[in-house]
Amino acid sequence: MTPREIAIALLAAGGVFFAFVAAVGILRLPDLYTRSHSASKSDTLAAGLSLAAVALTFGSDLSTIKALLLLLFMFITNPTAAHAIARAAAEEGIEPWTREEEVDE
Amino acid sequence: MTGTQILVPVRDSVTLRNTVAYAAESAVDAEPGAAPTLHFVYPVSERVTVGDPPEDATELLDRVRAWVAEDLGDNAASIGVETALVGPDEYLFNPGDYADVLGRYAAENDVETVVLDPEFNPSGMTPLLPPLETELERAGLAVEIAPVERPTRRFPLARRAGLGQFAVLFGWAYGFYLLVGGTLSTFDLATGAISGLVVAGLLWRISLSGFVDVSRLAGRLGRLVVYAPFLLWEIAKANFQIAYVVLHPDLPIDPEVVEFDAAVWSELPVTTLANSITLTPGTLTIDVSRRHFTVHALTDGAREDLLGGTLERAVRFVFYGRSAARIPSPAERDADSDDAERPTEGENA
Repeated sequence: MTPREIAIALLAAGGVFFAFVAAVGILRLPDLYTRSHSASKSDTLAAGLSLAAVALTFGSDLSTIKALLLLLFMFITNPTAAHAIARAAAEEGIEPWTREEEVDE
Repeated sequence: MTGTQILVPVRDSVTLRNTVAYAAESAVDAEPGAAPTLHFVYPVSERVTVGDPPEDATELLDRVRAWVAEDLGDNAASIGVETALVGPDEYLFNPGDYADVLGRYAAENDVETVVLDPEFNPSGMTPLLPPLETELERAGLAVEIAPVERPTRRFPLARRAGLGQFAVLFGWAYGFYLLVGGTLSTFDLATGAISGLVVAGLLWRISLSGFVDVSRLAGRLGRLVVYAPFLLWEIAKANFQIAYVVLHPDLPIDPEVVEFDAAVWSELPVTTLANSITLTPGTLTIDVSRRHFTVHALTDGAREDLLGGTLERAVRFVFYGRSAARIPSPAERDADSDDAERPTEGENA
């Protein structure tokens, strides 16, 4: 394996790992707010790592630029969407889950 | 003919003064004994959920009040003047939205006539949509455009800045289209030009507002290049923390909502900070009202990081340069002035 292939494999593996964390987080966390943490951010990083792997795979190609642009848009739109969801929830008066209310899930 | 209840939507414009004068005149001319009332309303485009209404709105309404008092002169006693903000709890995107909130106000106050400032042109009005006048008439109101003298409009030459914005936006869109398309075939050149025109036509009024100061922009971009790796590093670091928390058998989370006033001032820095906060795992921006942030923090550590102000300092560094980065962090500021109602910060101090 060339160093580049190793880097690609590492990035892809990182992407899979964080996507897994995001999925586990959605299942385990108690309420909408905490879940949207997991859904938006671990997922952003996962997608970012995967796209970085894609960009590296293509090497110097137009596809690399497109992958990088996708990455950029991902980093702009994902937090915006998470914010919109959380804000909508707050407007609806959904109370965030806190430690005091329940000790266990 | 104008009725006795007259509604005038106001926004800062060159003809507003004359529109107010015209409305006052119509009220004076109304039949005696009808007790006319002038309603000056300011439709708020953005949603204001927390805090005071926008300052420029209240200021403008105060100014209008003063003008009306001047215009009415001796008749001031017999003519009622009301000022109001409408639609603060929703976003107004197009003339239909404006007509909705104005119509609702009109219904509440038995208003039948609207005197429209010909230059009334808040954000959301575009040449592609039916004009506000049509939408208001659809809502059952009599609309009269104030017959005021407006400065000669040599559209679009009179708005050189606007035309420049249009050109810049078109250039960006076109260039981007060609970059992503990857070819310079005739077909791409033609479709790109059409797409660029559509994008620029739709968005030139709302993007690239204001003049661009090139040297300041260059400084910001340079510091933004420094900021990006820092942000990526913060994101990566924090993601490992979240991975640890999520995969830990006991799920050691302690979510809390934190509120604080950030020491950043204009739109773009606030947006950058809000997005950075959301991107950094463990913290999620719920609401921002000008400088006041409401943030949901997943763990105690994330909360401390947030109030430690590293991100805030970095954003200030990008937009205002190195000297501004040294302002105390939110936690320190809070320790200095323990006055505002900040429910959760006390626990961490």
